Amino acid sequence: MDVAAVQSQLIERINSGVLVVDQNCCLLYFNRFMESHSLLQASEVIGKNLFDIFPDAPQRWLQRKIQSVFMLNTPAFSSWEQRQFVFKMRHARPVTTSSEYMAQNITFIPICSDGQSEPDKVGIIVEDMTDVFFYQQKLKDTLKELEEVSRTDGLTKVSNRRYWEERFRIEFETAQRHEHDLSLIMFDLDKFKRINDEYGHQAGDLVLVKATELVQQILRKGDLLGRYGGEEFGIILPNTADKGAYELAERIRSQFSLLTMQHDNRSINATMSMGICQFDSRFTRFEDMVTRADLALYQSKREGRNQVTIYQA
Amino acid sequence: MNDITLTEDQRDCLQELINVAMGQASDKLARYLQTFVHLQVPYIELIDSTVLPERFAETYAEEGVSLVSQGFYGEKGILGESLLIYKSHDAHGIAEILGYEPDDVSEVEQLTDISSILTTTFLNGLAEQIDNQLAYSAPRVVSSMETPLEQHLQQLSFNWDLALKVDISYQVVDFSFNCDMVLLIPGEAIKNIQKVLDQILDEF
Amino acid sequence: MSIPVLICDDSALARKQVKKSLPSEWDVEVQFATNGREALEVLREKQIGVLFLDLTMPEIDGVGVLEANHAEKLVDFIIVVSADIQPEMQSRVSELGALAFIQKPVNTTKLTEILQQYGLL
Repeated sequence: MDVAAVQSQLIERINSGVLVVDQNCCLLYFNRFMESHSLLQASEVIGKNLFDIFPDAPQRWLQRKIQSVFMLNTPAFSSWEQRQFVFKMRHARPVTTSSEYMAQNITFIPICSDGQSEPDKVGIIVEDMTDVFFYQQKLKDTLKELEEVSRTDGLTKVSNRRYWEERFRIEFETAQRHEHDLSLIMFDLDKFKRINDEYGHQAGDLVLVKATELVQQILRKGDLLGRYGGEEFGIILPNTADKGAYELAERIRSQFSLLTMQHDNRSINATMSMGICQFDSRFTRFEDMVTRADLALYQSKREGRNQVTIYQA
Repeated sequence: MNDITLTEDQRDCLQELINVAMGQASDKLARYLQTFVHLQVPYIELIDSTVLPERFAETYAEEGVSLVSQGFYGEKGILGESLLIYKSHDAHGIAEILGYEPDDVSEVEQLTDISSILTTTFLNGLAEQIDNQLAYSAPRVVSSMETPLEQHLQQLSFNWDLALKVDISYQVVDFSFNCDMVLLIPGEAIKNIQKVLDQILDEF
Repeated sequence: MSIPVLICDDSALARKQVKKSLPSEWDVEVQFATNGREALEVLREKQIGVLFLDLTMPEIDGVGVLEANHAEKLVDFIIVVSADIQPEMQSRVSELGALAFIQKPVNTTKLTEILQQYGLL
């Protein structure tokens, strides 16, 4: 077998770009892959300076990189993850990919002339990583979506209990460490069972959705509403003392009591009872606040519902 | 789990090869970086890779670290993975050493670039002395500043039997940075390295 | 008559490498030392023609040996054999009286040239 002939044909037709430059970054070789993706002919680029052919290439960085290959006689690399591309070229996936240019992994290889131990040329191999780039992007999007889903309550789209508690633990520890204010509102819908019985479960669901929508509108940035279970919800209020929490809760309670919801041409009105607990340095766990806010909530219920109670030690 | 140990002669031989490779590497680096590179003679240690995490936990306690990995493979069944570990405050300003402008490169790219230069220059020097030629995979940052080093090393030690720990400290005029280099080598490749060391020892 | 030669290096491999790279036509009697302290003991005890000296060693290092020799004039011909070949180190050892500086691993041709240059061969 004529190895040299086979090698040269392989390099010419391989599905990666192959270029060779000399010490002045003059192009000595440009394979077919490079031709078809850069829309340049080898005959017009051979003998020209690499940076004249690719004026968009990061010149200072690339020159230093090529210099390192010559001086250290070691390979050098560039990855699409850090630098999406070095040579601005089209890729072979114009239809399925959103990215405009070819994502590239590049290897710079020292090449010595026969009998020499120091390199006088550098070979540059350009691999098309557009597919990987594309799938990585998709994977990232999907992971983000999954994360959203895993922390959201399916019906009301507010935080689910697991995520809400996770965040509450963090806020509680921050309050402990820095002695910041922190309040918790627990609330539940009054006579929710009766709504379900009278209007049907879909109506019950509607009331839950409407209630959370209203709360979300009133909450400030940084507050976090979560579904604690059934028709019970919790609101974490960082940097807020019980007085501020009470004002906010009152606004929610009164606006909700005035809200009329429509289901199957029937009007539904509902109310909520609320309990508030403020952070105290004697508490050791965030659950201590939940228990106390719940006690205040039961007091609201006992005293006739549709009201707000602050927990008193 | 593994019973591979180096004899005293093999250890001496490897230490000497590494010292020479280090000397050559620092000379080349000095010319490339156009500054003096002061290089301490590295201390080498061959350890079971399962104890690697605890060894490093102390050195890098309470500090952010960056970890860059690069695979290498050569003839005669010699292969492995090189890890360079930087304390995060040492990782700043590498662009300047490399002769880049700050806006030329991201922080991650500075790390992969300097790591690749240190690893390949050193290992090429080592390979040359044992009449071998190495090829390399592209360097990858395997841990960011935030994730604990121990966790990463624990994961890595599953795949490797022995680790050759080489403490390197580079000092460049007006600037110094330290990093640890760890060469992770699978058991089979260690045996191949031992064969090569024995051949060298037989020659002399 | 053979010339007494001392090779001082903490690495056994390096000592053997230096010994093996000595030109075969050079009539010498080789002795070894594994660190600077041992080397100085030998030098103070007997006449040595040529000392091959590593720089980084435990106990007393190569620079320490050069300094002691500078004061005591123990041996005339010292050739430093080191992996650290940076210019600042080279100029420091030549100030301390080393004749030549050879990069590890030692190369016979280079060594022969140096020995001839100083009329040792």
